[in-house]
Amino acid sequence: MSQDLDLPTYEDVEEAAGIIKGVANRTPMQTSRFLDSQLGVNVFVKCENFQRTGAFKFRGGYNSLSHLTPKERDQGVITCSSGNHAQGIALSSRLLGMKATIIMPQDAPELKVNATKGYGGNVIFYDRYTESRETIAEDIQAKTGAHFIPPYNDKYVIAGQGTVGKELIEDVIDGGHGPLDYLFVCVGGSGLISGCALAAEKLAPGCKVIGVEPEAGDDAKQSLEKGEIVRIETPQTIADGAQTQRIGDVTFEIMKKKVEKIITVTDEQLVDELRFFGERMKLFVEPTGCLGLAGLRKLVDSGEVPANSNCGVIVSGGNVDVRKYCELLG
Amino acid sequence: MTEGLDLPTYEDVEEAADIIKGVANRTPMQTSRFLDSQLGVNVFIKCENFQRIGAFKFRGAYNYLSHLSSEVKSKGVITYSSGNHATATALAAKKLGIDATIIIPEDAPKLKIEASKAAGGNVVIYDRYNKKREDVAAEIQAKTGGHVFHHHKYVLAGQGTAGKELMEEVLERGDGPLDYLIIGIGSGGLISGCAIVAEKLAPGCKVIGVEPEVGNNTQQSLEKGEIVRIETPKTIADGAQTQQIGKLTFEIMSKKVEKIITVTDEQLIDELRFLGERMKLVVEPTGCLGLAGLRKMVASGEVPPNSKCGVIVSGGNVDMRKYFELIG
Repeated sequence: MSQDLDLPTYEDVEEAAGIIKGVANRTPMQTSRFLDSQLGVNVFVKCENFQRTGAFKFRGGYNSLSHLTPKERDQGVITCSSGNHAQGIALSSRLLGMKATIIMPQDAPELKVNATKGYGGNVIFYDRYTESRETIAEDIQAKTGAHFIPPYNDKYVIAGQGTVGKELIEDVIDGGHGPLDYLFVCVGGSGLISGCALAAEKLAPGCKVIGVEPEAGDDAKQSLEKGEIVRIETPQTIADGAQTQRIGDVTFEIMKKKVEKIITVTDEQLVDELRFFGERMKLFVEPTGCLGLAGLRKLVDSGEVPANSNCGVIVSGGNVDVRKYCELLG
Repeated sequence: MTEGLDLPTYEDVEEAADIIKGVANRTPMQTSRFLDSQLGVNVFIKCENFQRIGAFKFRGAYNYLSHLSSEVKSKGVITYSSGNHATATALAAKKLGIDATIIIPEDAPKLKIEASKAAGGNVVIYDRYNKKREDVAAEIQAKTGGHVFHHHKYVLAGQGTAGKELMEEVLERGDGPLDYLIIGIGSGGLISGCAIVAEKLAPGCKVIGVEPEVGNNTQQSLEKGEIVRIETPKTIADGAQTQQIGKLTFEIMSKKVEKIITVTDEQLIDELRFLGERMKLVVEPTGCLGLAGLRKMVASGEVPPNSKCGVIVSGGNVDMRKYFELIG
């Protein structure tokens, strides 16, 4: 029942913006005349690959840690993450003077593992195809009393992520382009899209928020279609930030009401965008970060997004091993 | 002798800034806490890889072409380039309604050749190891009556706007003026324009040029006190393979550039990897000269801790296949 859920509101996103100001980067918004002429729409790309720790996750991590009581801070924090949330929590806890334990899949990209350790996080590995990260986390919490920071299903994490959408919509309006008609957001655990949907509802009412998942990992799409949360096996996809097995009840509640629809794209389509971002826009993006643009391209091709629409696209991050990047595009 | 040279002034750069406003991109400046802690200095990177046509060259081309009389414009323009100036001229000319013939070396990155064609330029290919580009230009001019240009004060003034924007932004942030401005050198247009700006906006700022080790014709020229010509160097920095600098840039650099250093191709590849992996910027090899030079001077102790160091990333036009070969 939604009465029991502690749902974030737009005011929580505004509060988060105040908390992260001067700590998180207010990342640039980029446009491409070439892309606009290719698609016949106006595309506004929010570059969270330039965010601290190389992905948007830092915002939600920092906001949620900032809300802990002094006692909770002393006991340290713990979280589970495929990579970017791990780095976000590791850096945030270092900045706020807390200890952080991060449970990461064994096959997480080396770059993400090393970066997390580099920020001072204490990393514990698990096998994502056979073990349960939740069980491992519970065991550690029982021993240490550490406070668990969910990667996405938490009001303060969601509110933090929502500042991405807030900044993008504000920049587009400030640039004299008018409000966004569409906002394309990648969906892993769905924290980003939930937060951004809160911002869009307030700052660009009428803006259609569209989620994009990898074809093999369409649990959020299935959940919205079925009207209840669907759990899947860990999908095999190059979008390593969108390999979640299920979304959360808080994010599901928000998406049900505020997300227009969720579509899927193939790994091949992601690779095409990776190449486009690198070659044309000179942006180094990770595969998961390409979901938004791939989704926009799909809906322009199908005719669903009309010509001249103002379309926001969030590039969620740029954390990919150079070797992996070259393999994918070579 | 300098009496014959039409040297650009800071006022020319200011004028260029007005002319290109709203046409060229005011590209972002990026910083990296990681880089700053690695080097112990404050680094401010001007990202001209995000400029129109993917390199700073658009600024100079657009400014120059804007100054031509209608009579000259009607006969078309001819220029030569290792790539980025070609595409820049093609696009600027198209925007201003001028015919452009661009002379490009055969071994220039395919991406750059295609881009010049796509931007509407009439492309003529030549073998840079066997023929002089100036000769090819002269041959075409004899046929068409077109106007040949390469370096000119308006081109240099246009390039200087990159340095102007960077320095203004650093000052606006309250970080104080730059102590160093480190810029890669091909034919020296960018550093010359930026040195004029530095003198005005950050007096005392040391302007340092960086060339590939095997293509250090400018370093040799400044040391010798006269323009030195070399054979086309083989380096991955395809925008810095010029055989000799011109009189205009030699004059400006002799007076306003502190010194010129060199870096190896390996050092460029290290920066390519750093800029991609850490700063999420796709940069072309030539665009890495500045940062590689800064790193070298910090390592040698020449740039003291806490210095404010401006670096210009000149462009991001690299074939993806080549990019992977280099950094993979």
